[in-house]
Amino acid sequence: MPAGSKPFSVVFCNMIIYAASRLVPAPQRQDWKQEWLAEVWHRWQFLFHARGWNSREALRLIRNCLGAFPDAAWHFASQEAAQGRMRERVRSPWICLAALAVALLLVGAASSGLPATRALLFPRSDRSGRLLFIWLHPFVGGGDKGLPPDVVTEWARHSRLLKSVAPFTIGHARLFAPHAGISNPLVITTEPVLFDVLQVRPALGTLPPVSGIVLDHRAWVSLFRADPNIIGSQVALGRNWYRVAAILPAGRQFLSRQPSVFVVQRQICDPRVMVVARAKPSATQAPLERELTKIAENFSYYFFNSNLRLGFLETESLTPLRFFGVAVLISIGILLMVCRCRFRNVQLALKPENRKAASRRVFFFLMKTILALAFVFMAGLEWSRPESSVCLPRKIPQAALFSCGCISSAQWACSSGLWRISGRVAGSACASCASPFASAAPDASSSIGPEPSSPAPKGMASCMCRISPQVGMRNPSIGSL
Amino acid sequence: MSDSAKLSHTAAMILQTVDNGYSYGFDIMDATGLPSGTVYPALRRMQTEGLISSQWESGEKALAEQRPARKYYRVTRSGTQVLEQSQRRYPLLEKLAAEKPRR
Repeated sequence: MPAGSKPFSVVFCNMIIYAASRLVPAPQRQDWKQEWLAEVWHRWQFLFHARGWNSREALRLIRNCLGAFPDAAWHFASQEAAQGRMRERVRSPWICLAALAVALLLVGAASSGLPATRALLFPRSDRSGRLLFIWLHPFVGGGDKGLPPDVVTEWARHSRLLKSVAPFTIGHARLFAPHAGISNPLVITTEPVLFDVLQVRPALGTLPPVSGIVLDHRAWVSLFRADPNIIGSQVALGRNWYRVAAILPAGRQFLSRQPSVFVVQRQICDPRVMVVARAKPSATQAPLERELTKIAENFSYYFFNSNLRLGFLETESLTPLRFFGVAVLISIGILLMVCRCRFRNVQLALKPENRKAASRRVFFFLMKTILALAFVFMAGLEWSRPESSVCLPRKIPQAALFSCGCISSAQWACSSGLWRISGRVAGSACASCASPFASAAPDASSSIGPEPSSPAPKGMASCMCRISPQVGMRNPSIGSL
Repeated sequence: MSDSAKLSHTAAMILQTVDNGYSYGFDIMDATGLPSGTVYPALRRMQTEGLISSQWESGEKALAEQRPARKYYRVTRSGTQVLEQSQRRYPLLEKLAAEKPRR
C-alpha cells in the first residue's frame, strides 16, 4: 500500500529528473523518465514501510538522483548528431580562442596580474634601460664569479662610458626587530652609490650616507606591517645592529621580488662582489669591455682580457624568450624525426584542388599553436619565477622543469596538429579506407574497457584516419585543426 | 559483441552484480556502492553492447499494486561469456560482488 503525500525530498528528486530529462533525446525521454521516477518512488516507499525513512535517507536519495544528469548526458552524447556538433564546437577556432582567453585570465588571476610577463614585455626603459651587470668568467676555474671590489672603485673613477657603478653582494641573513620578531629576508649588501645607479629615491626617510638599512616596500609591508615608525629604529641583522634609514617606493625591485633588505656600507669588504652599472646611452658592449679591461690593467693590475662578462638588462630580460624559442625549435626537430610525417601527404595538400582548404587549415592550426605556446610560455614564466626577477632567476630546478614543460607542450601541440593536417588533407586518398570520406569510426567497446578491443588490421596502422579516428572526414570543416 | 571485449573493473563488477540477481538500478547502486552517475551510464553502455538487456515489468501487475512499473536488467548470453572472461581477468570479482539474498 503506497504511503500518502510525497515528502519534499521526493518532489525535489522528481524535479531533478524532469530537469535532466531535457538532455535525453525525445524518443527515449519518456522511457528514461519513467525508469528514474519509478526507482525514486520505490526507494521512498521501501524505506517508508521499513520505517527507515529519515532526513539522512532523503539526502541520500537526492544525491543518488543527481546521477540522472550524467546518465542523461550519456544519452545526449551518444547521439551521432550531438557528437558531430560537439566535435565541431571543440574544434572551432572561436571555442579555442575562448578557452585560451579563459586560461590566460586564470593564470593572470592566480599570479596577481602576470607580473613576470609584464616585466618582460614592458621593461622600464626610462630608468633601467641601460642598466648593466658585470661579472667574471675566468678561463681557468670555470663558472661565474664576482669581481675584486677595488676594481669597481677604479671603474667608477676612470670610466668614460659608465655613468655610475656600484658593487653588491647578496645572501640571506637573520633579521631581528623588537616589534617584528625574527625573519630571514634577502639581504643585499652594497654602497650608497647603488641607489644612484638604480635611480631610485626613497619613499620614506633618507638614504644613509655612511651606514644603515634601506628596506624595499615589500619588506616594509611584510616584515614591519608598513609601520612608518620603523624609520630610525634599530634592527639586528646577523650579529650587527643597524638603523633603518629609508623605505623604497612600491614597485621597485632589485634582483628579486622577495622582500629585500639593503645593508648600506661605506665600502664593501667582501673579496668578491657583483657589479651593477649604468652605462651612457652611446655605450655598446665591445667598447665598454675594452675600456673596463684597460682600466683594470692600468690601475688595479688585474688582467681580465676576455674574462669579463657584461649583460645589459634589456637584453638579459629576453633570456626566457630565447630559451623558449630554442625549446620550440628542438621540439619541432624531434617531431619531424618521430612523427612519420609523410611527404606524400604534403604533396597531396599542395595540389591545386586541396591548396585552399589546406592553407586555411594550416593558418588556423598555426594561430592556435602560437596562442597555445604563448599561453604555455606565460604560465611557465609566472610559475617558474614567482619570487625572482626577470633578469636573474633564482630557482634553477623550476627553470629546468619549465623548459621541460615547454618542450613537451610544444611537442604535443605540433604533433597533434601536424598529424591532423596530413591526415585530413590526405584523407581522400587514404588507401585503407573504402570511400573517399570514410573514416575509422571510434571503437565503441573501447569506451568500456581500458584497452582497445581489437588491433588495427594490417595496413591500417599507417592510415591517418586510423591513427586519429576522431578526425573524421564525414564533415570536413575549416575549424577542424 | 566481440569475444575479445574487455570490461573495466567497474563495468565487470556491475555486470557481475546484475548476474547475481540485482535487477534494478538503485539496487545495483546499493550492492556495488557505486554512485548513480557511474552505474546508469555503465548500464546503458553495456546494454548498447548487448551484454545486458532491459525489460519493463508487467504494467497490469504494477497497476494492481498501485505503484509505477520498474525496469529491470538481465545479463544476456554474450554478457555471460564476457563475464566469464572478466572473472578470469579479475579473479576477485565473484567475491567482491554481492550475492542477492534468497528470499
